[in-house]
Amino acid sequence: MSRLSTHRSFVSALLLLFGLPGLGFAAEDGVRLQRGQLIYKQQCVECHGAQGEGVADEYDEPLTGDRSIADLAKIIHKTMPDGSEEDCVDDDAAMVAEYIHQAFYSSGARMRNQPVKVDLVRLTVPQYLNAVADLVGSFRKDVTIDDSRGLEANHYGSRNMRRDKHAIERIDPEVDFAFGAGSPGEKMEAEEFSIKWEGSVIIEETGEYEFCVATENGARLWVNDMETKLIDAWVSSGKSREERASVRLLGGRAYPVRLEFFKFKDKTASVALRWTPPHQVEQVIPQRHLSPKEAATVLVINRAFPPDDASVGYERGSSVSKAWDTAATYAAIEVANHVLDHLLPLAGVDRKDDDEARRSKARKFCAQFVRRAFRRPLSEEQERFFVDGPLTDAPDLENGVKRCVLLTLKSPRFLYVGMQRETPDAHDVAMQISTALWDSVPDKELQTAAQNQALLHAQSIRNQTQRMLSDPRTKAKVSAFFSHWLELDEAEDITKDPKRFPDFNERTIADMRTSLELFLDEVVWGESSDYRQLLLADYLYLNGSLAEFFGLDTSGDDSFKPYQFDPRERSGVVTHPLVLTAFAYHASTSPIHRGVFLTRNVLGRSLKPPPMAIEFMDGKFDPRLTMREKVAELTKSKACMTCHEMINPLGFSLEHFDAVGRVQFEDKNKPINASGVYRTLAGDEVPLEGPRDLAEHAATSVTAQRSFIEQLFHHMIKQPVNAYGPETLNKLHQSFVESDYHIQHLLVEIVRVAAMHRLSPTSQTAQL
Amino acid sequence: MRSRRSFLRDLGVSAAALPLIGGLPSLGLANTPSSGKKHRLIVMFSPNGTLPEQFWPDEEGADFTLKPIMEPLKAHKDSMLILHGLSNKVRGDGDSHMRGMSCLLTGKELFPGNIQGGSHTPAGWCSGHSIDQELKSFFQSHEDMSTRFGSLELGVSVPDRADPWTRMVYAGPNKPVAPIDNPYHVFEKLYGSMKDRETLQSILDDVQEDLRRVRSKISTEDQSLLDEHATFVREMEVELANADKQKLLIAAPELEDGVSNRNDSMPKLAKMQIDMLVNSMVNDMTRVSTLQFTNSVGNARMSWLDIKEGHHQLSHDPDLNEDSQSKLLKINVWFAEQLAYLVDQLANTPEPGGDGVMLDNTTVVWTNELGKGNSHTLQNIPFLLIGKGFGFKTGRSLKFDKVAHNRLWMAIAHGAGHPVESFGNPALCEGGPLDLA
Repeated sequence: MSRLSTHRSFVSALLLLFGLPGLGFAAEDGVRLQRGQLIYKQQCVECHGAQGEGVADEYDEPLTGDRSIADLAKIIHKTMPDGSEEDCVDDDAAMVAEYIHQAFYSSGARMRNQPVKVDLVRLTVPQYLNAVADLVGSFRKDVTIDDSRGLEANHYGSRNMRRDKHAIERIDPEVDFAFGAGSPGEKMEAEEFSIKWEGSVIIEETGEYEFCVATENGARLWVNDMETKLIDAWVSSGKSREERASVRLLGGRAYPVRLEFFKFKDKTASVALRWTPPHQVEQVIPQRHLSPKEAATVLVINRAFPPDDASVGYERGSSVSKAWDTAATYAAIEVANHVLDHLLPLAGVDRKDDDEARRSKARKFCAQFVRRAFRRPLSEEQERFFVDGPLTDAPDLENGVKRCVLLTLKSPRFLYVGMQRETPDAHDVAMQISTALWDSVPDKELQTAAQNQALLHAQSIRNQTQRMLSDPRTKAKVSAFFSHWLELDEAEDITKDPKRFPDFNERTIADMRTSLELFLDEVVWGESSDYRQLLLADYLYLNGSLAEFFGLDTSGDDSFKPYQFDPRERSGVVTHPLVLTAFAYHASTSPIHRGVFLTRNVLGRSLKPPPMAIEFMDGKFDPRLTMREKVAELTKSKACMTCHEMINPLGFSLEHFDAVGRVQFEDKNKPINASGVYRTLAGDEVPLEGPRDLAEHAATSVTAQRSFIEQLFHHMIKQPVNAYGPETLNKLHQSFVESDYHIQHLLVEIVRVAAMHRLSPTSQTAQL
Repeated sequence: MRSRRSFLRDLGVSAAALPLIGGLPSLGLANTPSSGKKHRLIVMFSPNGTLPEQFWPDEEGADFTLKPIMEPLKAHKDSMLILHGLSNKVRGDGDSHMRGMSCLLTGKELFPGNIQGGSHTPAGWCSGHSIDQELKSFFQSHEDMSTRFGSLELGVSVPDRADPWTRMVYAGPNKPVAPIDNPYHVFEKLYGSMKDRETLQSILDDVQEDLRRVRSKISTEDQSLLDEHATFVREMEVELANADKQKLLIAAPELEDGVSNRNDSMPKLAKMQIDMLVNSMVNDMTRVSTLQFTNSVGNARMSWLDIKEGHHQLSHDPDLNEDSQSKLLKINVWFAEQLAYLVDQLANTPEPGGDGVMLDNTTVVWTNELGKGNSHTLQNIPFLLIGKGFGFKTGRSLKFDKVAHNRLWMAIAHGAGHPVESFGNPALCEGGPLDLA
């Protein structure tokens, strides 16, 4: 007897032995599920595990995904069991598919098996850094950075900025001056003058910023730490030189900056203030990043932290490690030392005060510090433990303050979020809002609202969220979301084949990034804030160099402007040059990388890692083949095709863009074929002739929209969306649609959902 | 300036009573060479020239009488080597003070530049590196001579400016090295981690208590995360306790609390810096150091000597002004007393892991920017060497005839086993290293 018929008879025999009584659903359904389960036990358990959890050294990924039963059946029919595919086909395959879909494969099954809850997590690294910066910052004066841009400049007719020699006062948009051998202006001699520029530098993204002072004369620069010069090039020998120094800065904030410059008897004079921000090439600090208002110093921790766990697809503080505990400890020491060094401006503790006064001011400071760190008022017991205890036990006042700060920053009440209180109160709500929007502690206004119990209704939560939405810290966090969504962190250090792309260089990729950032900024923070525009916009922001790179007429100056394109050619992020360039090889396109990106990030489909990872080696193919032909060849096996029949058409639809995002019509002298068919989750077929078809589908696909919402939710809240109720994603999607896909509105709703979690019904009744 | 106490009382010994650790095996950070003699160089700087009559012995040779300025140092006469007749022959840009300061340890010209002195052409930084940095590189490149820092640049009441008057140490052309004149910063540099450790230890019990309290209020699944966290806190406690047991040869000095960098605190600051300098050398954190009192044209008002006028101001008064002369004498005697405080400690501390005392392997060079204040002369720069390092034959007063001081630096390098062909401007090195052995 063949193996096949043995199976069949075996199953039939079992059926006879174990005839099932009806159980409330169609006897046949029940029977099919039972059969499916039996087949699974016979043929699949060995590699996939009893609950589909996977088996080490066999297939160690859990059997989960978003395919329909019909799709699963097809896949099983074609490819499983691995090595003897003919053993499970047709109806057997269908029954196994039905069984696993219901038992553990589908998201419904997963939610049933493992109800998801809000987890206790520690602060992520950005959350730690931001919390500490704002915590200490809350004791400094508030400085409003308005819309004015540039630096405040004061000129003097002496080499040391003597007040009585003051000549000119004005705002300079940038610092990039070549005075030649002459005087910089009225009331100053060519031989001797000095200039002081003051204000702030506006930072959007967290990272290392390398400042550069280029001058033939004397100059010195302070950035953020106004007590220690970052660059001291005061003494010069008349030769042009550039001095550089790096400083770590947190995004969403402004930092004080001061540049002093003088010329004395040098032949010629010049000065430029430049920087190299993350992902960029060195440039004169542009006007939009400068303000004439001087911000307060921000405490930026220097200590490096180990990276957060991102295995669930977004960064979370779901685990602790020794390295993390050590880093958090040293960071706390940095904060404590900073506080002690600045006890006068932060706490008003003056050496000139008597002991009594110093003690009382220090105590007041400590109590406030702990309260703001824990984001809620302290109980009497907590005040004793965290404030009075350390202050009394220590040998002197400073040591006492230090102990208090250390104890506070090493406390789980500071380090952890998501600690479930029996009844969440307004302070929990406040913490949720500020953590969601700013990755930080509540500001004074939010704290006051919490204090006044004003945060227990949906509307007041929305109001506060709306207020905080326009804060640069929100922009910084949302910017980071898009970086993640578009995998821009991978887009570092991209180099291309100089023979094929001789005009592609560091500057090109840096400009492409600016282009994308300007686009995202405009769409997200504009009035309509329309998600669909992310995918459908038919314009690109280009500066002179990029316009030239793309073979367009430029108007001469190098500033970024929107350029209109044929809608069939450009459509939002999927055709943005940075994205196309990042998902490409050194000299050729990569439909597979582009396809995977589109599948997962844009269309929101789940994709397992490949059963076998095969490296794409261009040299191994017949050189006459186009990229499309090579990819098709490489992924033609049944096992590969289970995913690649979805991935490939998506990647091919972008084949009209080469490895640097420029339009191409031929590959290996054959016309580019970008057509294909994409099968949706529901089984519908979407014909794709080019990027616009792809983008139109992505903009209107409910799967894609839901995935976008879910990804944004995860980024802002750092908890699984289903933890807030199985209907949460549906409701958010509904509200998203009703708002015409308004991204800002979505953000407000996401925060509202998280903030109102487990708030008592009575407080929730005052309108949703 | 911060006001902080040392947190290390529990570790015992204070520097006030520096222990005579005779015959103890070296522990912890003390690092002794397996072969070859150990050499240490300390250069102490004071500004505005000296009073030649009150400084230089009249006699030449092994039989000489100390003049008033050197009186505080008489206990160490046998370890002295007094070198009269060495001149700073570096010319070029900058006035005498600038060159006196920035070419003193380098023996090389200043770059032309934008800093204008009282006369001459404006100048920039020095175009070479200083002898202490030369020695540092040499030592650091040999495992048995290398130390944690290589060199330590200390200062007392140095103005917070970077210019050719405030810098005498150069790591290279255009690379001045700033002295640290805040003793709390020096402490932080040498022993900072230890201080933080102690504060950390004082709160870890409370951290664990806090964790316990929070843990008791959360769900079982969440508890495991906090439990893991708690194990790290416990581990840290154990590690800190172990680190305590690892000893320095001697404990860090206890610093007086709240000394601020004001003019009147100079005596206290000097003591603190010297204590830490010696301490760092006992613990072999460095074998090269400079100690800079104020700066070139330094204008300290030594109120503790009943002097209200600034040092620089006084140094410009003519020789005939007896009042100024007597004040300048007091000032220079005070500097000598600081030197004596330093040398006394070196003479009373046994050489770690070796025979004799530290002074046997150390040479302290007391020098100045100018030969004489009111004439701005760069001839007869004061050079008083104390200590038996570098193989020099001490207990002598030597007289030279307008010899370039570069040759002294060469002699020190040679004495350390580093036979340089020249130092600074080669044209000023003719004749090679001074023979001081």
